[in-house]
Amino acid sequence: MTAALELEGLRKSFGKTEIIRGVDLSIGKGERHAIIGPNGAGKSTLFNLITGRFPQTSGHVRLHGHDLAGKAPFEINRMGLSRSFQITNIFPRMTVFENVRCSLLWSMGYKYSFWNMVSKSRALNEGAEEILEQINLSSRRDLPAGVLSYAEQRALEIGITIAGGADVIMLDEPTAGMSNTETDYIVGLIEKVTEGKTLIMVEHDMGVVFGLCDRISVLVYGEIVATGEPEAVRADQAVQEAYLGAALEAEH
Amino acid sequence: MTDTSSIMAKKRSYGGLSTGTVAPWVICTAILLVLPYVFQSNSALTIMNQMAITIVFALAYNMLLGQGGMLSFGHAVYMGMGGFMCMHVMNWVEYENIPLPLPLLPVIGGLFGMGMATIIGSFSTRTAGTVFAMISLGIGELIAASSVIVVAFFGGEEGVSGDRTYGLPVFGYEFLTKIEVYYLTAGWLVLSALLMYLFSRTPVGRMANAVRDNPERAQFLGYSARWVRFYSFCASGFFAGVAGGLFAINFEILTEENLNLVTSGSILLITFLGGVGFFFGPIIGAIVFTLLQSVLSLQTELWQLYVGALFVLTVMYFPGGLAGVLMMHVVPYKLGKLGTLVVPYIKTLIPAAIGILGLASFCELMFHFKHAAVGEHDMSLFGIEFSTHSPIPWIVIIGLTVIGFWLAKRSSAELRETWGNANVMTSSKEGGAQ
Repeated sequence: MTAALELEGLRKSFGKTEIIRGVDLSIGKGERHAIIGPNGAGKSTLFNLITGRFPQTSGHVRLHGHDLAGKAPFEINRMGLSRSFQITNIFPRMTVFENVRCSLLWSMGYKYSFWNMVSKSRALNEGAEEILEQINLSSRRDLPAGVLSYAEQRALEIGITIAGGADVIMLDEPTAGMSNTETDYIVGLIEKVTEGKTLIMVEHDMGVVFGLCDRISVLVYGEIVATGEPEAVRADQAVQEAYLGAALEAEH
Repeated sequence: MTDTSSIMAKKRSYGGLSTGTVAPWVICTAILLVLPYVFQSNSALTIMNQMAITIVFALAYNMLLGQGGMLSFGHAVYMGMGGFMCMHVMNWVEYENIPLPLPLLPVIGGLFGMGMATIIGSFSTRTAGTVFAMISLGIGELIAASSVIVVAFFGGEEGVSGDRTYGLPVFGYEFLTKIEVYYLTAGWLVLSALLMYLFSRTPVGRMANAVRDNPERAQFLGYSARWVRFYSFCASGFFAGVAGGLFAINFEILTEENLNLVTSGSILLITFLGGVGFFFGPIIGAIVFTLLQSVLSLQTELWQLYVGALFVLTVMYFPGGLAGVLMMHVVPYKLGKLGTLVVPYIKTLIPAAIGILGLASFCELMFHFKHAAVGEHDMSLFGIEFSTHSPIPWIVIIGLTVIGFWLAKRSSAELRETWGNANVMTSSKEGGAQ
């Protein structure tokens, strides 16, 4: 069985600085995988390389066995990979409903159509309502997305990310900057909406990571120092030295 | 709250046309049909035709600026090119006896405008923002400059002129009279406005908004921001070309003026003045601007100063434009508090109007004092005749200005407070005002 996402010898340099220093990783279908690591380890850069935001310097990214080299973000998205961003990335001046509806358009086959009316398609509108229901934003339906609370915007972004029906979902720090109750809510939401899909997330909150994910990779200075089940990673000596210890220290 | 709205969401029906969306179109069409009976003079018809053309152009421009987030400094090119092409076709119809009915001419203008937009857009829509704006400026300048170089097409300095009446008569109409041209123009206005509105409701029209708000996010939803911009650009070029065709029919002449940066600049001004955030914004902008241009310019030589001041004030204090000012009142209206605003409005706006008129009078007085012919001391303002060399008019005008603004400022606090109250719910019910 081919992996949902496979990274092979992936490297990225900005000028002379090498940020990603040879990452090999294979994530199976339906797996929930977390990438953790100290600040500046290159987690977001890794995400950006996978999703085509930056070109890699060398190495390969394969989605369901297809090489993504040279593909633009929109092409990668069409192949079934969808992502969210560390800094909330939505359409602030459009209504919540429009945000979700727009994210359904391509997957429903509308492409660049200028002969269909979006309001006439039952499947499109009901699909958007359903997603709103899932992310509990039905009551905010007609508000501009920019006026929502931070947690609501994060929920909306998750809704936009999953709406297109991609089977590989990548979330970049979905709970960053949230209170405990908000975090619990978002984690529940992520669990619900990624049912049966491959999930790859960057996350700082260890509680979230250990509770939600099947496997964890630890990224330190552009290299993966450990990959495995949460318990194994927690027990790993190298990880504790390189990261968890530092993270614990940083919290004090 | 959640329960009721989810029930409402389930009840919502899709596909049907609601009266809320159809009514404005029916009303506006009816007004267009009746207008020539209200304003019958020839000059009024000219103004209304000019207005209709400007509305089509402004709406086309707003497909870029408001809907797509692309600031163009050279959009006159597409209207102008469409217009020039229509003039040539009009002449071919005359000399070669091509059986082309005049009302179809704007289609040719539109297709030519779209053709131009396809070429230019293929490289200019790569990004929005500064690069797009600069390319549009460059292309605008380039085409305007070629009008004296490519004389065969642009007719050099005297432009290209023709005669619209040689086309195939349509139901016996040869478009000799202004009124016939008015109905032709009005018909195209309604058709183009409707098509542009419908375009904004299509998937690519919706994505134009998405790309405007956040091109990167749109990319990660499977859409290429560049293609979305390109389609908007072509569609905008088409309707700008239609406006050019209507211009050709109305004025029977196109010159370099139709291509240059002044025209491009004024359509930006018109669109912004009306409000880029709402579909009907440019319509208001076009109406107000055409009125100012045609009516105010008859009254005073300084009209451009006032229009400029209006534009600057709009940008500074009402970035939503005139449409934005109107739509600000929707929340108070929904809360049933619009009535509370009437008295504070009268108390503030009437003194403010006096102040503004006083200030304008001062400008007029100054202008007359400085620039009138030697020995010419008499001038008239608002039907009152006086001498510019006596101190009394100066004192009166300055006094009125100061008092007007002072009164307006004094009551503006009350207006602000009432406005604040009118925008919040008094009861503890949730929802509504945000």
